[in-house]
Amino acid sequence: MRLQAALSLLALCVPSTLAIYADEVNHIDFHHALLGLPSSQSTFFLKPSSASNASLLYTLSEKSILGAINPRDGSLVWRQNVSRSLLPDSAAAGGGLLRASDGINAVVSATGDYISSWNALDGKLIWENWFTSEGSVADLELLELEDASAAGTFRDTIALVNAGEAGVVKRIDGQTGDVKWEYKDESGDVPFQVSSSPTEVFYISLQSALLKGSKIKATSLDSVTGKQTYQQTLNSENDVTGPDSIVFVGANTAAPIIVWVDKARKVLKVNVIGTKQVSTINIDNKGEEIKNIKVHAPKKLNSLPHFLVGYETESSSWAEVYHTDMKLGTVTKAYDIPRVQERSVFATSNKDANVYFTRNTESETTVVSSASHGVLGRWALKNPSTEQALHAVSEVVDKGDTVAVRSASLLASGDWQLIRNGQAEWTRHEGLSRASAAAWAETDEQEELAHQLEVEGHESLHGAYVHRVKRHIKDLEYLPEWLKELPKRILTSILTDEVSNLDSFGISKPIIIATENGRVFALDSGNHGAVSWSVKAAETDAWNVKAIITQPGTATVYADDGSSVTLKVSSGEIVGRTAPSSKVHSIAVINNGASIPVSIRENGTPMETINGSGFLVTLSADGKVLGWSAQDNKTPVWEFIPARGQKIIRATSRPTHDPVASIGKVLGDRSVLYKYLNPNLALITAVGDNSASFYLLDAVSGTVLHSSIQENVDTSQPIASTISENWFAYSFFGDSTDASEAKGHQLVISELYESFIPNDRGPLNSATNYSTLHDVDAPAPPHVIAQSFVIPEPISHMAVTQTRQGITTRQLLCTLPSSNSIIGIPRQILDPRRPVNRDPSSTEAEEGLFKYNPFLEFDGRWFLTHSRDVAGINNVLVKDTLLESTGLVIAFGGDVYGTRVMPSQAFDVLGKGFSKIQLVLTVVALGIGVTVLAPIVRKKQINTIWKTGS
Amino acid sequence: MHFSIIPIPSIVLLATTVICSSLTITIPPSNLLPNPNVLPAGTHATLTSLPSSSSSSQDQTTRNALFNAPLTCSATFVFRNLQPSAPTQPASYLLDIRSAEYVFAPYRVDVAADGKVLGAWETFRGNPWDNRGAEKFNAVDAAAREDATVEAKLLAKRGFYEQRSSFSPLSLVKNPMILLALVALGFMFGMPKLMENMDPEMRAEFEKHSRSSPITGGARSAMSGGGGGGGPGNFDLAGWMAGTAPGPMASAEAAAQGAATGRESGVARRRG
Repeated sequence: MRLQAALSLLALCVPSTLAIYADEVNHIDFHHALLGLPSSQSTFFLKPSSASNASLLYTLSEKSILGAINPRDGSLVWRQNVSRSLLPDSAAAGGGLLRASDGINAVVSATGDYISSWNALDGKLIWENWFTSEGSVADLELLELEDASAAGTFRDTIALVNAGEAGVVKRIDGQTGDVKWEYKDESGDVPFQVSSSPTEVFYISLQSALLKGSKIKATSLDSVTGKQTYQQTLNSENDVTGPDSIVFVGANTAAPIIVWVDKARKVLKVNVIGTKQVSTINIDNKGEEIKNIKVHAPKKLNSLPHFLVGYETESSSWAEVYHTDMKLGTVTKAYDIPRVQERSVFATSNKDANVYFTRNTESETTVVSSASHGVLGRWALKNPSTEQALHAVSEVVDKGDTVAVRSASLLASGDWQLIRNGQAEWTRHEGLSRASAAAWAETDEQEELAHQLEVEGHESLHGAYVHRVKRHIKDLEYLPEWLKELPKRILTSILTDEVSNLDSFGISKPIIIATENGRVFALDSGNHGAVSWSVKAAETDAWNVKAIITQPGTATVYADDGSSVTLKVSSGEIVGRTAPSSKVHSIAVINNGASIPVSIRENGTPMETINGSGFLVTLSADGKVLGWSAQDNKTPVWEFIPARGQKIIRATSRPTHDPVASIGKVLGDRSVLYKYLNPNLALITAVGDNSASFYLLDAVSGTVLHSSIQENVDTSQPIASTISENWFAYSFFGDSTDASEAKGHQLVISELYESFIPNDRGPLNSATNYSTLHDVDAPAPPHVIAQSFVIPEPISHMAVTQTRQGITTRQLLCTLPSSNSIIGIPRQILDPRRPVNRDPSSTEAEEGLFKYNPFLEFDGRWFLTHSRDVAGINNVLVKDTLLESTGLVIAFGGDVYGTRVMPSQAFDVLGKGFSKIQLVLTVVALGIGVTVLAPIVRKKQINTIWKTGS
Repeated sequence: MHFSIIPIPSIVLLATTVICSSLTITIPPSNLLPNPNVLPAGTHATLTSLPSSSSSSQDQTTRNALFNAPLTCSATFVFRNLQPSAPTQPASYLLDIRSAEYVFAPYRVDVAADGKVLGAWETFRGNPWDNRGAEKFNAVDAAAREDATVEAKLLAKRGFYEQRSSFSPLSLVKNPMILLALVALGFMFGMPKLMENMDPEMRAEFEKHSRSSPITGGARSAMSGGGGGGGPGNFDLAGWMAGTAPGPMASAEAAAQGAATGRESGVARRRG
């Protein structure tokens, strides 16, 4: 206790400037800036500037995030969320489209009815447009002009809008986003794609044939006026049953092609758009069923009219390269790319007119030219991935007689990997972008010591002593190793920073993250958040993980179907599984020494009972809060139903680890305000029509201890809340009913005290035991002091920092979705006892209170994420370490961001500012000084003695 | 296939979405931000207000998308269509420019039921909504113009990083402890030199002085390593506490006497 008091005094003495030092960036924090899984159709290498040869890797991910990646190191150059469609659920209605053209500094994307053009170098908007009244964009092409130099810096876009009954082709100005012309096809055909040659725009639609199947109709439009020039209908009704049968519609080659396949996958038919002729290619399936046919063709206008057809069966893959004769409109086979007994992924790239095909198999990468079958380059993969590649894009550089290639392939694990000449350059873990749950884990080694100490604690004095001596003798076997390491450790500690030496203080902790696509990742917070392992834990693409509960050494992931998977924290090995049972609404955890998970049904009833004391508060799907005794899952102890018209959106409780260092708050005049410390508090958020209510419940009895209602609240904006120690906070967007009120986002902080009189503990006094249920004089409701601040931005999630003893001051961690940041607001700032409309008195100033200002501007030093752009965060987890000053923070949801927080500065760690070299140098200098001065002084003394003696 | 581009003199412009009125926010160069083009791509502007109670979730997505404008290449934000959905009524919006690093002044933007911008004013957070600041746009003045253009006002730049005090020899020299040590060192080495350079008469007088003065005597004895000399320099604490040696005051008294005699002698010399 005395140590605690001393430490808390120390913590108070340290000035709480909190900002991160510029040299600690990337050192105490890490950030995975993610895009989501890149989609196969909308990923490419592009040279945005015609002046420079440097290219960037662009993608529109399945999360509708458009981004540019530096192919050199895999870092994010820019990104934009383009899910701005006004159509309902447009994200689900089909992936987005992304088109660009080499040398043109613009990328055009379409999602739903939203179409936008972005500067390819810096990601700023060029134009945007919505076709809400018509429908969603079905296809997009950039109009290539024959004379590229005359075209200027913008390319017009051809968009095909699927307006339900009709297809509308529009030419959109490349500079303003205005529509230049539009062509409406009201024949009732299914709009399929657009394709363009330099002079013509082809509109491909599927016309239902009389009996079955569909005919492919190509309508040629004049690219300048949008007038229909001619129409061509291909008799494809025997083969084409729907859009799925068409394998490829060639885009922007000098001779755009359309390729379709029959149902049995026996015959491939190719037509050069604009001609009547259909070439038939018989597929040699070599006795195996063909699973997949893919056509790869160059997209550039001036490239050779060659294309590749890749075939894939269960066990093997091969490809054929075809050349198109532009005059005759026929297609001839040029050569085969041999069949191999493994999967391969093909990619096209072109350099000037030359076309190269890259083949990535599981063991090697090969590059061939489209003109001849000679292999230009072959590289064996240095360390082949065990995961199969789903799709790839590649870029070939021609160096005279040799070539170099780099290809970015998406692996089934969600990793996006760039392989340059057979060597993996970088890996982006895009799979992490769909994180649905995370937890801090403990490794076994820490557990071993804890276990040993526990054994000692339970034994007799003598036994414990013997056990301890034995343990220490056993530890001696590590001594030589330790001694060997010692010089290295001393050297590194002097030369480098402290981070490597703090691992033993719990700074380095594994983080287990479960994603929606059934994978579990482990990140190492001590090693820049590097992924230590990732495993496929469930064969589903919609894995709704409800909770991850960690035991030392293992982590158990609970899904909403009642199933669970247990993994080893150190290796990711799956050690146990339970089969799906019934639908789980949520998972509650009872902490009786060990964490016991309890599954909760939709209606809020716990599925199982637990022996021993404990109680549960559950939230049912129909908006009720229920209180349960752990032994009884039939009838709830209490039930809380909000006022009519209100819907419960959130319930929070104090964190499991929430130590309180002091039970009171010492005021300036040395009197004490006692904190209302109830471990069983629950904060319920309910929203009505334009109002939000916050109820503070006692979770054992269900009593409402405090409630507040906020009117004129925009309930569609995020409403965040959190509770810790003896205070709670919430934020919302409050509008003004009349003009004399303020409009803006608000943050309300409320503190709970036992009594409003200092030195008074209320009716409860210092009783050690009380019952919230049976006592006549049950505890009085807390005295609540609240203050509200206008804040500049919405807060989407709140959390509170944790430290081991709770001595360090706390920070309110707020996720700011609009500026993509996370801030930590110091609790001293958010003190509801700040004097209003007057300067603080001397006693208040002594407490650290300062004048209340209704507007709380976010100080730059509070930004934990400093200048990083941390997007898509929907949850923040905190964890204490063995160092009282330091807590760990991990944020996930979209990006993954982790950092360390020191709300009262690093008072128990020597930071980077402490120069060990300087200390050593000072000691050495002093030593030299002493050795130099000592003889001088001695001589002098002797001289004086002689002189005085004479 | 033959290639030819037919020049058509009149290109028909078709506006598919009826643009009622658009609001453009420009960022002028300022001291804090000399080049607005350096703003990161994530910077955007938002218009916020309480939606009318009858609005559905569909309207919500519409609102979110429309009333959120990304940064354009020319460092502006353009809200293309401000017309609210179905139940049209005038609205008063809070305009914010969202950027982590730069703090912009919030504006109040009033929009009529037909989506026309009525006016834009500076507003102050935490103040009544009708407490308007400088007028940035007025529909009456700009009646002829369809589109409203408003200049954003940059208030501050956030500093995210703490400055680490770096090691410099100058700061070491500024340290008072070091200064004291240096002065003492200077005395120690400089004094004997000074004494040597003094003419013998002066030195004799000085020595006499310093012997008689308790402070200089003490300092001298300290300088000479505490050996020999009179005054409190060789005060025997143990002896004094045992009562066998005279107290420090005794020697001070003696010194005072000595000083008095010294003064006398000095006077005498001057006379002489």
